[in-house]
Amino acid sequence: MSLLTDSPVHSSSSDDFAAFLDAELNSNSSASSPVEEDGDDEDESNDEEAEDDNELEGKSVKRCKVEMSANIHEHGSTSHTTLEHKIGKDKSLKIDICTHPGSFGDMCILCGQRLEEESGVTFGYIHKGLRLANDEIVRLRNTDMKNLLRHKKLYLVLDLDHTLLNSTLLAHLTPEEEEYLKSQTDSLQDGSRVNLFKLDFIHMMTKLRPFVHTFLKEASEMFDMYIYTMGDRPYALEMARLLDPNKEYFHAKVISRDDGTQRHQKGLDVVLGQESAVLILDDTENAWTKHKDNLILMERYHYFKSSCRQFGYNCKSLLELGKDENEPGGALASVLKALKQVHSMFFDELGGDLAGRDVRQVLKVVRKEVLKGCKIVFSRVFPTRYQAADHHLWKMAEQLGATCNTELDPSVTHVISTDVGTEKSRWAVKEKKFLVNPQWIEAVNFLWRKLPEENYPVKPTKEE
Amino acid sequence: MFFHIVLERNMQLHPRHFGRNLREHLVSKLMKDVEGTCSGRHGFVVAITGVDSIGKGLIRDGTGFVTFPVKYQCVVFRPFKGEILEAVVTMVNKMGFFAEAGPVQIFVSNHLIPDDMEFQSGDMPNYTTSDGSVKIQKDSEVRLKIIGTRVDATEIFCIGTIKDDFLGVINDPTAV
Ligand SMILES: [Mg+2]
Ligand SMILES: [Zn+2]
Repeated sequence: MSLLTDSPVHSSSSDDFAAFLDAELNSNSSASSPVEEDGDDEDESNDEEAEDDNELEGKSVKRCKVEMSANIHEHGSTSHTTLEHKIGKDKSLKIDICTHPGSFGDMCILCGQRLEEESGVTFGYIHKGLRLANDEIVRLRNTDMKNLLRHKKLYLVLDLDHTLLNSTLLAHLTPEEEEYLKSQTDSLQDGSRVNLFKLDFIHMMTKLRPFVHTFLKEASEMFDMYIYTMGDRPYALEMARLLDPNKEYFHAKVISRDDGTQRHQKGLDVVLGQESAVLILDDTENAWTKHKDNLILMERYHYFKSSCRQFGYNCKSLLELGKDENEPGGALASVLKALKQVHSMFFDELGGDLAGRDVRQVLKVVRKEVLKGCKIVFSRVFPTRYQAADHHLWKMAEQLGATCNTELDPSVTHVISTDVGTEKSRWAVKEKKFLVNPQWIEAVNFLWRKLPEENYPVKPTKEE
Repeated sequence: MFFHIVLERNMQLHPRHFGRNLREHLVSKLMKDVEGTCSGRHGFVVAITGVDSIGKGLIRDGTGFVTFPVKYQCVVFRPFKGEILEAVVTMVNKMGFFAEAGPVQIFVSNHLIPDDMEFQSGDMPNYTTSDGSVKIQKDSEVRLKIIGTRVDATEIFCIGTIKDDFLGVINDPTAV
């Protein structure tokens, strides 16, 4: 019972008309060299050119006829077949020559030919219908890299959720949170003042992380920045609008899960930057399995209760407490400092050819400075019979520049323990070494500096 | 290229419209249904300019809807391979630039931008000749040649080139 199809009936004469024009103009474009207007070309020696000219003359006559009468059927079928023959030959020629570096609307961006099979990588975040072949991506990366290095810039890929901001569905706000928000309605009128936005049309509330505006402004002077989120495209664009209302940073560089090439994975294949020049900020390590060396892991920003719950924390949310992350000492400010160090080391301190430098190596070096000179022994942190050196905290400490040991000796500076009663913990107290809980090392890793040890005491276990 | 052509379409009309204003209803429905749409054969329907004839209606069994064959004149726009088109630049990046001519979306790859024009990144990305005399950026008007077209139900895509004589910028927005 549907009236979906108002089936159009096409008059056959106009179909032929379109086909005819296509054929006509096709053959015209295949004469790649511009043909002079004057028909009486004296240079008879060049046969090809003379032929072209004749053809053009013949065509313009035909076109006049088209304009004069709508009835195209009168044209001899012979001229049609020869034209088509010619086009066919041209096409096969082009297949040999053109490598089809990419496509727009399924047509080759170089030869205009319709491409049947989908190959290469889609770049829908730049423009709908755009795809690029792998060779072309490599070529673009190379030229872009030179351009970027000339401007003393590198690439920075930024995650949204828990990295730059925190969002919740309006329906997931707790009563306490709603209560608090009600008391703040005045400041909420202009969300940009408190960086808290109620987005009714997508049923969400978004809180930008403290310091994010300063972060983006300063980072944009050192990096060409992309957003890369597992959220969908409309959400990603809305967040980009909040973060970058003047479209200074992320124009055509917002990548959403709709643009990725692999599910539940983020990849640098859709980023037009060389891997040796890209840094990534993300709170989810597992999303970047292929690019761990480019990654700066971020401490998760949980502003809303629903976000805490999602990760299994049952504490009060920052919103419920009416608090927020500290600006100058918070995650973004700390990471910005590290980024500045990496940037200046990459451009100013490293010798040799710019193009041969690798920001991943620089990142490693900068990270190794953080706990340089520390000698760490772990106590009751790893399960027994666990290969200590395989544990992620052990690795983390080493990446931060500390040396790790299984045995105590006078050169040890820190004992990381979960229990004050262990032999090693007691030794630390006796020898006046630092005794800290494992969170110390994780916090140091997030904030890129040695944190006051006294803030991470090892609490006595309940039995004792 | 614009054409003024005659097309035919079978229109279904709900019985509630059967009355004195039947013809008006048919025409307004036709305009709503057809204007602004694309067809692979004819391109983008810009406007209906007249209705030539409305044939005898055929009652559909069971629904009471009636199908009328309608012959109408309209202006259509369809780009052709080899055609020279003027378009407005909408986006410039390292891959080339995108431009629009009415409903037509055109991509000109940097392969098909003259070699002496180089990409400049920044707030207003552009392609500029080494002497700075010619610049293509967002909102520039360009003359280009179509080398490939694809007409969908809703969109028209084209591949263009400006790597030929007399093609390129025809109006520089910054020069005004
Ligand atoms: Mg995240
Ligand atoms: Zn091609």
